[in-house]
Amino acid sequence: MALEITDSNFEETVLKADKPVLLDFWAEWCGPCRMVGPIVAEIAEEYKDKAVVGKVDVDSNPEVAMKYGIRNIPTILFFKGGEVVDKQVGAVPKNVLVDKIESLL
Amino acid sequence: MIKRIDPDLPGRFGNLELLARQVVEGFITGMHKSPFHGFSVEFAEHRIYNPGESTRHIDWKLYARTEKLFVKRFEEETNLRCQIVVDNSSSMHFQGRDRDGKDYSKIAFSVECAAALTYLLRKQRDAVGLSVISDQMELHTAARSNSVHHRMLFTQLEKLYHPDKEEERKTTDTAELLHLLAEKVHKRSLVIIFSDMLDNEGNPGSLFSALQHLKHNKHEVILFHVHEQEKELEFDYGNRPYRFVDMETGRMIRLNPADLKEKYVRQMKKYYEEMRLKCMQYKIDFVPAGINQGYENVLLSFLLKRSKLY
Repeated sequence: MALEITDSNFEETVLKADKPVLLDFWAEWCGPCRMVGPIVAEIAEEYKDKAVVGKVDVDSNPEVAMKYGIRNIPTILFFKGGEVVDKQVGAVPKNVLVDKIESLL
Repeated sequence: MIKRIDPDLPGRFGNLELLARQVVEGFITGMHKSPFHGFSVEFAEHRIYNPGESTRHIDWKLYARTEKLFVKRFEEETNLRCQIVVDNSSSMHFQGRDRDGKDYSKIAFSVECAAALTYLLRKQRDAVGLSVISDQMELHTAARSNSVHHRMLFTQLEKLYHPDKEEERKTTDTAELLHLLAEKVHKRSLVIIFSDMLDNEGNPGSLFSALQHLKHNKHEVILFHVHEQEKELEFDYGNRPYRFVDMETGRMIRLNPADLKEKYVRQMKKYYEEMRLKCMQYKIDFVPAGINQGYENVLLSFLLKRSKLY
């Protein structure tokens, strides 16, 4: 399962992580987000030792979403060393996300 | 694993479309996963509504539930134009054997593959055109996606599949006809060529420049090298004198295959290796398609290319 990232644990879990981070911004009411959700969960399972995979509910955590100017959901940000290094907007097939995370390992 | 379907079956019913359907459906079921994933018209994301923007795409149901103003964004519909080119020179009518040891020619294999691809493209609502080449352009249809056009393509393919009369000897002028096609076909098409590439051996340079021309006009190209492994590439004949007849020119020569085998195999290898390298250089997919290896290779290469294009 992907980690639940909130405004309060964001810094600790994402910015200070020693591994690459995949962060999925989503909302309950958004259809495409629900398509991406299971894919992110699969990646979380497959890469649990190599990367941190988290999900941010933009409705209950507006601060993080605002900080990164998230206007479209689903948006997936890739962090390395606390910096955003890649971004994927919209629902995409799994291999696109896997390729991106692989390139950061 | 798809086995070759009994060629008598479509022959009896005269329906290549049925065969194509069986091949494609069998192939897709075999993969256990839809190859179409990711390139259909799909609702891809929600974006915050910007004041002043058209209200047309606002997700009103969402607004009613949550009072949030978001617009729906869809993945763009992708339209592929595909031109299938089948080499119908006499050398393509060389009779080899399929996996079950039945007579099977390179042209029959190419037509079956072309039919399967046409069927697949129709399912995806992509436009498809057909060109048949030999010493001249025997047929050229522009790429269209309506069903009347598809039916016409199947009829044309069937004519190739069951030639009415013994074909007269036809040489191939692939290089020149590919130059012509590069200009004729709408830019940025996917050009799929089925050919044994056995016509320009004396002058591979002109063929390469034709392939380069296709790439120059922004076409994506897949070149299926249709071949017969046992006789054509490995020259596997018995140890006794044979009379060899050039299917394209009718020239005859008597010789003992064993004397020549080693040199022949080496030359063939060299020629195809050169072809492969050139294609790699021009970023053309060069796919060896042995007539007794089945359709998997052909369909997979196509689907791979298709998913890379969009």
